[in-house]
Amino acid sequence: MKLHQKGYLLVELSKVANLWDHHLIKMALTEYGLVGDYWENHLRVALVELAAAGLITRIEEKLETIRGKSTLLFRYQLSDFGRTRMVDTGLLSKEIINE
Amino acid sequence: MSSNAAISPMLAEALHKHYTRNQRWGFMWALWTAILWGAWYVPGTALWFEHPYVDIAADQLSLRLAATAVMTWIHAITVFIFLLLWNAVLGKVKDYGRTVVRFRKISKWYALASLCGGPMAIFGSYMAMGFVGPVFAAVTSLFYPVIGAVIARLWYKEKISQRAAIGMSIIIFGGMVIYGPGLFGEMDISNNHAWLGYVGGIMSAIGWGTEGAVAARAMDVSDPDVGIHCRFTFEILFWGLIILPFLGIFTDLPIQDLIIGTFTHGKALLWIFLAAACHAYCYTAWYKSFSLIGVGRGEAIGNLYAVFALIFIAAFTLQLPQWYFMVGLILTVLGSFVMFSEPAESVAQLRDTEPAMEGV
Repeated sequence: MKLHQKGYLLVELSKVANLWDHHLIKMALTEYGLVGDYWENHLRVALVELAAAGLITRIEEKLETIRGKSTLLFRYQLSDFGRTRMVDTGLLSKEIINE
Repeated sequence: MSSNAAISPMLAEALHKHYTRNQRWGFMWALWTAILWGAWYVPGTALWFEHPYVDIAADQLSLRLAATAVMTWIHAITVFIFLLLWNAVLGKVKDYGRTVVRFRKISKWYALASLCGGPMAIFGSYMAMGFVGPVFAAVTSLFYPVIGAVIARLWYKEKISQRAAIGMSIIIFGGMVIYGPGLFGEMDISNNHAWLGYVGGIMSAIGWGTEGAVAARAMDVSDPDVGIHCRFTFEILFWGLIILPFLGIFTDLPIQDLIIGTFTHGKALLWIFLAAACHAYCYTAWYKSFSLIGVGRGEAIGNLYAVFALIFIAAFTLQLPQWYFMVGLILTVLGSFVMFSEPAESVAQLRDTEPAMEGV
């Protein structure tokens, strides 16, 4: 069974130093076979919630024109708290965090 | 959050709009919680005036508590159906399945939240109503955001700014002004069982306060719409597989008759249906607000239910509230504005955390 969507976003962020939100959203859309603005917005809100909870941190932002519309984009990084919470919730093993 | 020091005015404006929009959505969800919680009191109270519940005398306390357990269980099942409809429309049913199966690490927190909010808080509230009175029960429930905010602060360092704390205090004080004067007519020092009511009042405040903080731990890594669905799944199981069978087997309480009686009386079912519709989306809005503005703020704005409950009851019974209701109303609205006037940027990250130095 696939991971739940917020879990997937966290796991993908834990594999890299940081990632722009539109790249992460594109990966999630492919993973779950989803298309359209609704799902893009849904995943964007999920990232906002993860950032509000302190699991991920915004380290850079930019305005970019996507499909003719000025869009605010964020580069996210997993926080230490996020990494700890991922271990607590079984999304990351302790061995990986100690490497 | 990254620094705004060296960014263009256009980007700074876009960022401010982004944070303001998130803050507004968070407070809007919390306000919906209060409206729907207030509306819930109308069908929730009307249910007691229908068969089989109207047949239970006020002094038959154990039977009333058993009836409460039965109606809470049937209510939870109906809430589950409404949430299934909600998540089906939003396309989140698959994500519900993916979340609920991860019991050992994630959904167990929703199970614990359901114990805090269901058997502890609701049962405690009914004890407070039964042994002291409904006004006392309402007043003790007003303190749940304090418990929630303290636990969220100590457990996972949720930031509570001075302005948010002042807003919360004003809202709680406003709630006390609304219900407090009624307490004098309700307290009876000659009642030997009153201590059970006080215990119940404490249980309700601790139960609801703890529920938000416990659920938020699982919501850190899962969707709030899915989270509330998990929470009611476990509440159905607790009542249906543990508490009600225990009461049915080890006591002589007519649990089976109460269940059959509820399902065979259309009006009782109709009130449960309406109460569940309010409660399902009240809880959904409550959990969604936690993700955006935090447990402390979400619970404090949710406390405005005290105002909405009286407005809805006045609308349906045509009994106008006392004059001091207006004072309480002004205070609670003032407290809400104090909280909402917090800079949106300070609500954008709810906890004191540091970013990781590098990826793995």
